[in-house]
Amino acid sequence: MHEVGIIESALEVVLRHAAEQHAQRVERVVLRIGTLAGVEPTALHFAFDAVSRGTPADGAALEIESVAAAVYCAGCAREFTAERGSFIFRCPTCGDFCGEVRRGRELELSRIEMT
Amino acid sequence: MCIECGCENSVPFGVKVLRAVAPQLLRPKTPAPAPLATVAAAAPTSHTVEVHASLLAKNDSAAARNRAVFAAHRLLALNLVSSPGAGKTTLLSRTVDEFGHEEKCAVVVGDLETDNDARRIHRPHVPVAQITTGTACHLDADMVARGVEALDLAGVRVLFIENVGNLVCPASFDLGEAVRVVLLSATEGEDKPLKYPPIFKSAHLVLLTKIDVAGALGFDRAAAVDNIRRIAPQAQLIQLSARSGEGLDEWYRFLRAHLPRA
Repeated sequence: MHEVGIIESALEVVLRHAAEQHAQRVERVVLRIGTLAGVEPTALHFAFDAVSRGTPADGAALEIESVAAAVYCAGCAREFTAERGSFIFRCPTCGDFCGEVRRGRELELSRIEMT
Repeated sequence: MCIECGCENSVPFGVKVLRAVAPQLLRPKTPAPAPLATVAAAAPTSHTVEVHASLLAKNDSAAARNRAVFAAHRLLALNLVSSPGAGKTTLLSRTVDEFGHEEKCAVVVGDLETDNDARRIHRPHVPVAQITTGTACHLDADMVARGVEALDLAGVRVLFIENVGNLVCPASFDLGEAVRVVLLSATEGEDKPLKYPPIFKSAHLVLLTKIDVAGALGFDRAAAVDNIRRIAPQAQLIQLSARSGEGLDEWYRFLRAHLPRA
């Protein structure tokens, strides 16, 4: 349950930008979350609703873009995208189990829309 | 603000040191962010700001500072993560009794409450700091920095950071360690790596612990090893028992091999 802390840091940045831009309302907040980031999108939504209450981001839409894991196979010297929902990463070419994760751990505030 | 539910109760985070300096350890708390400037009236035009900022930026910069401190002391820092009760404290107690006489060790240990683990690990030759996190389910880099500040690191070659028992949240938080160790014990299910993939995928080393009781419990070691290999092929694997001593030599060899050059 560390999603609240993560949303708090996101909201801090969002509200700073909103203030700098003299925005009245934040309409949309877009996060990019890797499938290996270890955070639960439902918990992020729940936390966002709770933490944004009473701020200019109250009622803003929270959009979560999921980033699929990209894994490197050292044997084949190539990268492949992991199947959604699977955490066992096998190279589609040689069938080896691969552990070098190149993408999929993202926890990023991507974009803010405001008026 | 409470990290769990967002209520206004502050998290009762604390550091307690067993042996070594204590008083000046607690830096004043980071001041609360300044209240938001009143939003000036402006035309309600819609616009988009591209931010692309890491949500863990604060933790990551604190982790980078920790890493620099560890490098300056030329010590090996390990972050030990597992479910509660997988044997982190037992392994560390025996490690400081044996390996700790060969290379000086220090320990930072995190729990929600009590300093029981620090007491269990504490020895005259081992500085130990207990971090109580209150309600937080993991250690973050700043807590570790405050724990480490409280310890006398002179001569220390190996720093063990015993994380809060939790297989989920610690995965996201870099503490500045060189080696992340994930423990899986024979009292748990063989399929735990399949159930908690992010933490196992972040491991440099997986320790299969309590193997002395695996047979009695009907724990299928081969299946557990197979699951670890499939989920965490990047990690080294050592099977051991801190009670019988089996496999500990390999663990100590791993520590020696990863010591930074003095």
